[in-house]
Amino acid sequence: MSALTFTLKYRPDQRVDMSPLVCQKLATLELAEIAALTLQNGKRNIRVDELFRITGFDAQHIVIKNGFNKLDFIGKELEGGKITVEGDAGAYLGLGMKSGEIEVSGNVGLYAACEMKKGFMLVNGNAGDFLGAALPGNKTGMKGGTILVKGNVGERAGDHMRRGNILVEGNAGDYCGSRMTAGTIAVMGQTGRHLGFAMRRGTLLLWNSPQPSARFNDCGTHTLAFLPILFASFKKLNSRFADSSTAFNRVQRYAGDMSEMGRGEILVKLNSE
Amino acid sequence: MLIRLKNGKVYDPASGIDGEQQDIYIQDGRIVNKPVGDFKVDKEYDLSGKVVMSGAIDMHTHIGGGKGNIARILLPEDHRADPVARTDITRSGCGHAMPSTFVTGYRYAEMGYTAGFEPAVLPVNARQAHMEMADIPILDKGGYVLMGSDDYLLRMLTAKKDQKAINDYVAFTMQAAKAIGVKVVNPGGINAFKFNQRKLDLDEQNSHYGVTPRDILRVLATAVKEIGVTHPLHVHGCNLGVPGNVNTTLDTIQGIGGLPMHLTHIQFHSYGTEGDFKFSSGAAAIAEAVNSNKNITIDVGQILFGQTVTASGDNMRQHANHKYASPNKWVTMDIECDAGCGVVPFKYKDQNFVNALQWAIGLETFLLVNDPWRIFLTTDHPNGAPFTSYPHLIRLLMDRSFRNDMLATIHPEAQKMTTLASIEREYSLQEIAIMTRAGAARLIGLQDRGGLSAGNWADITVYTDNADRQLMFEKPDYVFKDGQLVVVDGKVVSTKWGTTHVVKPDFDASLEKDLKKYFDRFMTMKLGNFTISDDEITEDGRGSITVHPLKGEVA
Repeated sequence: MSALTFTLKYRPDQRVDMSPLVCQKLATLELAEIAALTLQNGKRNIRVDELFRITGFDAQHIVIKNGFNKLDFIGKELEGGKITVEGDAGAYLGLGMKSGEIEVSGNVGLYAACEMKKGFMLVNGNAGDFLGAALPGNKTGMKGGTILVKGNVGERAGDHMRRGNILVEGNAGDYCGSRMTAGTIAVMGQTGRHLGFAMRRGTLLLWNSPQPSARFNDCGTHTLAFLPILFASFKKLNSRFADSSTAFNRVQRYAGDMSEMGRGEILVKLNSE
Repeated sequence: MLIRLKNGKVYDPASGIDGEQQDIYIQDGRIVNKPVGDFKVDKEYDLSGKVVMSGAIDMHTHIGGGKGNIARILLPEDHRADPVARTDITRSGCGHAMPSTFVTGYRYAEMGYTAGFEPAVLPVNARQAHMEMADIPILDKGGYVLMGSDDYLLRMLTAKKDQKAINDYVAFTMQAAKAIGVKVVNPGGINAFKFNQRKLDLDEQNSHYGVTPRDILRVLATAVKEIGVTHPLHVHGCNLGVPGNVNTTLDTIQGIGGLPMHLTHIQFHSYGTEGDFKFSSGAAAIAEAVNSNKNITIDVGQILFGQTVTASGDNMRQHANHKYASPNKWVTMDIECDAGCGVVPFKYKDQNFVNALQWAIGLETFLLVNDPWRIFLTTDHPNGAPFTSYPHLIRLLMDRSFRNDMLATIHPEAQKMTTLASIEREYSLQEIAIMTRAGAARLIGLQDRGGLSAGNWADITVYTDNADRQLMFEKPDYVFKDGQLVVVDGKVVSTKWGTTHVVKPDFDASLEKDLKKYFDRFMTMKLGNFTISDDEITEDGRGSITVHPLKGEVA
């Protein structure tokens, strides 16, 4: 079946709210109806066909071509189906998505997978700040599903995260895992300052030693039986996380944030043994 | 321009008119008598069969001051979920429980309200409160200045200063804060909280100042009376929300010794300790005390089910209630030497025993107090419910079968603990008009408002009579503010700016010498900056100040 494809005709100066273009909302619409939908563009409303050339018909697989960093709210509250973005995506990619799959070939902006409930998000480039976080003022960030970022992520990844996995092949910015309630963030590259700031529970899984923090207690070295099970769950991913040579089960464990309830953990791969 | 409102059915308790068909004439913003001789009507509205009342007045609603902004910051979801787009004549905004200023003005006007009074203006934050209210379109506004937990007053009481000195200080503070009344919140309790006291009964001493709430209430009520302020001391009593506080409230009523006193959101102060859950209704006892003590007025602070946020100066009780916060986040803070502040989001649930009984207690109070001139319709917006729920509340009061239908849906144990089902009273339109118009204007001391006789400002609301009172009061046909048509069919059609109502009691200026020393030593602000000048409210060209006479004065 041919994917419903939106090819961007030009790059508007103002940001575009793409939230009407999700699989479940387009499923019952004719092409002409989709073309006549309006998108908020700055303070204007513009028709979809003014901005995009529309081809294909399968609303269960939406492809956005020539994506760039001002296309916000792609896949908002997505419920089933798949959205592929060729190029970059703007802020709030997959905001509150409930299920389904989003793949972006380039970079994504702020608040990607914000308050995500379930599903899978793949970012082949870098992600901005607040990946998988809560909206400002809200208490619960990502609640389930998996995010895989092949590049780097910005600051505050997993802020207020509640459940699910964030897998980062590159580096993470400052305050990674801040205010986490639970869930898992795995970072293969370097992490920044204030790792796990005010985290309550949850797991930060690292391949490289973080900067030392007075707020985490060193709990010594451990062999953890759950790690092989966790890595086995990554096997189906098209990612370095699926590569068995990257897996490990010996870790240095740090518990914190001790200024919070202190039941979070940072697990760092032991390289010396 | 002469406007005639023709053949409306007029409810104007201020002049004793109860549903009579009359014409009303409006000229230059005021209601006038029918001109004599030949005259030309420039604009006529045929109101045959329609109900005409003056614009409603909310005498206790939290619409200005820092706590509103704290609630807005605390609850971004409240604002995200309720966006309001701009139109050609109205500005954008948002918010359900604590709407933005512009939306507050529009929504009040769209329900037929033309004035709202902020009951907790902290003296040190009064400038911000007035600036915020200056951004509320259409409505008239005013504030009651918060006293009773300020260190300066408590020092005066400890030093046994005479009543005259206290009167001067109260009058000075009212002028400085541009107030029309004086409010006291948990008398002395906000201050006691700072000295690590977590409760303060009526006769319990502040551990630092040795002053009791009873002392504070008595001197402040005396001061308000002696300096001639019409609005009686506005009291948010001790022990808000504590089971058994009905006794405290009854004691407060007796203890004031006949001085005029307004007990606000009394529903939260009418709880007994009977029953399996040690929580019961004290509404009957309260209503009896109100009925027999003519010096007492009350507003109810009805709760209605749903999400809201409580914002109060009573940091002691808000701190105690924070564990019920829903969603689970809250703020309690100190406001330098003046008072405190607590913001706790609440979700009142009809299947929660306590909430369900609170709902019934409020309604019992409404229905058991006989004199509608001494009881006022409030939800203590936003603490019991947002003000937008008033039409629903009016229906509960006016429609017994609807009320009993609602009663049948709440927590079954709460149903057993209330006499609500047996109360037959239904409010009449005239009684609603008294509570929300004439009575409120009289209580606050508003001249030329709240009535429809000649000389009054033309704040007028026109409804279509409807057996479903909620629908009727939700959507007035017309609302006039100072003679200008601002709402048609429940939608704002034009906007204007209301005035700020104040009183200006005199005081002995020599008091400022001692105050200056106190300000220099303890406050973040100099005394000269503390006093708000008239210009600050009027100089932008849209605000104005209306000074109301003191008792015994002729306007």
